[in-house]
Amino acid sequence: MHISEGLLPAKVCIGGYAIASVITWYSLRRIEQQPNPTAGIPKAALLTAAFFVASSIRIPIPPASLHLVLNGMLGAILADYAFPAILVGLLFQAVMFGHGGLTTLGVNATMMGVPAILAARLFQMRHFAAKYIGVRPSNSVFAFVAGAGGLGITALIFFGITVMGITADIDAGAEQKAISALMISHLPLMVIEGIFTTLLVNFLARVKPEIL
Amino acid sequence: MDEYAYLESPIHRWDTRCKMIGLTTLIFAFATVNSFPLILPMLAISAIIYFVSKLPLLFLFHRLRYPSLFVLGLVVVLPFISGTTIIGQIGYLTVRQEGCFAMLLITSRFVAIMTLCLVMFSTSSVLTTIKALRDCGISPILADLIFLSYRYLFEIGHQFKTMEMALRLRGFQPRHINQRNLSVLASLAGTLLVRSYEQSEQVYQAMRLRGYGGNTGRGDSRISPTYPGILGSTKSFTRDWFSLVLMILCLIISVIFIGVAVS
Amino acid sequence: MINNNINAAIFVRNLSFSYPDKPDVLCGVNFQVSPGERVGIIGPNGAGKTSLFMSICGVLTPKVGEIMLFGKPVQPGEFRPEIGLVFQNPNDQLFCASVWDDVAFGPQNMGFSPLEVERRVQEAIAVTGLLELTFRPPHHLSGGEKRMVAIAGVLAMSPLAVIYDEPSANLDIRARRRLIRFLQSSEQTMLISSHDLELILETCDRVILMDCGKIIADGQPQEIMGNAQLMENHGLEKPHSLTRHQHHYDSGDDGGFLANSALAFTQNSSNSAKV
Repeated sequence: MHISEGLLPAKVCIGGYAIASVITWYSLRRIEQQPNPTAGIPKAALLTAAFFVASSIRIPIPPASLHLVLNGMLGAILADYAFPAILVGLLFQAVMFGHGGLTTLGVNATMMGVPAILAARLFQMRHFAAKYIGVRPSNSVFAFVAGAGGLGITALIFFGITVMGITADIDAGAEQKAISALMISHLPLMVIEGIFTTLLVNFLARVKPEIL
Repeated sequence: MDEYAYLESPIHRWDTRCKMIGLTTLIFAFATVNSFPLILPMLAISAIIYFVSKLPLLFLFHRLRYPSLFVLGLVVVLPFISGTTIIGQIGYLTVRQEGCFAMLLITSRFVAIMTLCLVMFSTSSVLTTIKALRDCGISPILADLIFLSYRYLFEIGHQFKTMEMALRLRGFQPRHINQRNLSVLASLAGTLLVRSYEQSEQVYQAMRLRGYGGNTGRGDSRISPTYPGILGSTKSFTRDWFSLVLMILCLIISVIFIGVAVS
Repeated sequence: MINNNINAAIFVRNLSFSYPDKPDVLCGVNFQVSPGERVGIIGPNGAGKTSLFMSICGVLTPKVGEIMLFGKPVQPGEFRPEIGLVFQNPNDQLFCASVWDDVAFGPQNMGFSPLEVERRVQEAIAVTGLLELTFRPPHHLSGGEKRMVAIAGVLAMSPLAVIYDEPSANLDIRARRRLIRFLQSSEQTMLISSHDLELILETCDRVILMDCGKIIADGQPQEIMGNAQLMENHGLEKPHSLTRHQHHYDSGDDGGFLANSALAFTQNSSNSAKV
C-alpha cells in the first residue's frame, strides 16, 4: 500500500514531507530523552529489518495472495522508534524494489506511521482493560483492534490521497463513491490483518513478553 | 542496491553528497512538472544522466518493470473517467483529453524520477550513501538506524528463507486461508521478531565492548549533542570543483523547471 | 559400482548443481546408501555437503543428474516425508510456542488424526528425552535441548532416512555425548555431515569425503580418516583417536619418558582443537 513516484502533485509530496519531518523530529527528541537511547538503536534497527522481511509473508487467498502491512504491530513493539523505523523501511522499499518512491516518501511515511502511532497508543490501553477482562482476552481484543485499525486508517488515507490527489478532473461525488467502494472491499483484509496481529501478539506474549 | 557502484563514469566520480543534493533537487523539480512542454525535456535530462552513468539499460528495465505495472494499473482508467473534453470513443468508453494528458504526465514523471533515483543510489556504495545522508544533515540516530537495518536485512532475510524452507520440508504448503495456516504464519513472523530481538541484544553488547554509546562525560548516557553515531561525519564539504559544478548545474535546471511549472 | 537403485534408500547419479551464473557446487556426484546404513559426509567448508542435502530433499533443482529416494525419483518442490533434514542451526527449524506444538507440526501437515498426532508426538518426545520440556517454548531452551527438539520434530514424521547437518555444532560436552548415544541407538538410515570427526567415527559405518563438489573417497571411516595425507590434502586432519602416540624412552630414564609423553599430549590436544 505505497504511493508510487510521479502520481502526486508536488505540493502534496511537500506536505507529506512536512508532516513526516515534524513527527520524525518529535520521535527523535523522545528517543534522545530516554535513559539509554543508544541501547534502543540496535534493537530498533534489527526489528525494522525483521518487520521488513516479515511483511513479505504471503497469506494465500486463492487465486492470489496478500502481504500484510503490520504497521499496527510495529507501532506496538517499537513505540518511539516506530515512525523512524517506518521511514527507514519505506526508504529501502523505494530504493531496492521501487515500491513507493522518494518524492512520495513523506506521504507514505505519514500514511503508515500515523496509524502505527495511534495503534500503539490503543494497544497500551490493554493494561487498563486487563483488570476487568483478564490479560489474554485484553491482549487479543486490543491486538485485533490495533491491527485492523492500523490497516484501516492507512487504507483510508491511501485511497483518499490516491483518488483525490492524482488529478483534479474527477467529479467529487464520484471520488467519494470510489473511496467508499475501495474501503468496503478492504474490510476483509482488515479482518485478516486484525486476526494475524492477535495471533502474533499471543505468540509473543507466551514466548517473549518483554517485546510487547 | 549498489551492485554497479564499481563502474567508472562521471556520475560515479561525482562526490556523493553533491550528487544527493543535485539529483534530489532535480527529482523534486520533476515532481512539479504539470504541463505538456516540460515532459520531453524532463525525460531527456533523465535519459542523458542515465546514459552518462553507464548503468546497463537492462538494469533500468528490471527495476521499472513491476512498479510501472502498478502505476499503469492506476492511471489506465484516467482517460475514461477524468476530464470533460471528449476526443474519442472505444466501444462504450468515452476517451477524454484531460485524462489522457494526466496519464501521460504521471507516467512520464514516474519514469523520469525513478531513473534519477536509480542513478543516485546505484552509483555509490551503500555505506558511502548513508555517510552522505549523514553529512547532508540527517540525524545520527536515523543514519545509524538505516545503517544497522541494512547491515542485518540480508542476514534476517536469509534466516527467514531458511525457516520457510524448514516449514516446507515438514509438509507445510498453505493453499488457502484458515485458522491453522494463519497461526503457523503468525508463529513464523513471531519467531523472526524474537530472534531479531535477541540478536540485537548481542549486537548492542558487542558494540558497547568497542566503545559504542560511551557516556558524555556528564555522568549519564544520553546522546551527546556531538554524538557522531556509528558512521561519524565528515566535518568539511567537498572541494572537488567537478562535483560542485555538476551540483550547481542541477540546481539551476531545477529552478528553471520549478519556475516554469509554477508560472 | 552403482546398481540396484530400486532397493537403495538414497540413490544419486551424476548429480551436478550450480547457482545462477556461478560455478558448479556439485560436479557429477554418484553414490548410493542402503537402508539402515549410517554414512558420514566429511569435507572442508564449501565442499558442497549442504547443497547435496538440499538436492536430496528436493529443495534445490539439479542442473543434471538423477536422485531417487526409496525407489522413487525426487521431484524438486515435492514433499517427501520419508526423508527428514535436521538443520545445522535448530533456530531455523523451531518456531512454535511450545515443544509439543513444534513436534506435532510435521504430523499435522501430513493429515493425521489428532489421536495419531498425539501418539507420534509422545513417541518422539520420549525417544529424544524431552518429556519435562513438552510445554516449554523452544526459544527458552539451551542449544542441546533445541537440537533434540528439532530432531524430535523430524522423527515425529517417521522418516525412513534422516539427514543431520552438523548435529554437534555449538553443543557442550554433555549434550554432544547425549546426541552421540541417541544417534548410535537410532534405527533409521542416516547421513551425517560434521566437522566433528570423532562423532563420525563413533556413529557411522561408512564415510564419504567430499571436496570441491566431488566425492574424493568412499569407504570405511578408519581407512579414509586414518589416511593423514588424504585428509590434509582436502583441508581436514586425522582424528585424534586415530593418531598413534609416539613414545620415546630409554630404559631407566623415566623423566625423559614422562616429559616426552606430556609433550605428545600437548601437541595432540592442539590438533584436536583445530578439528
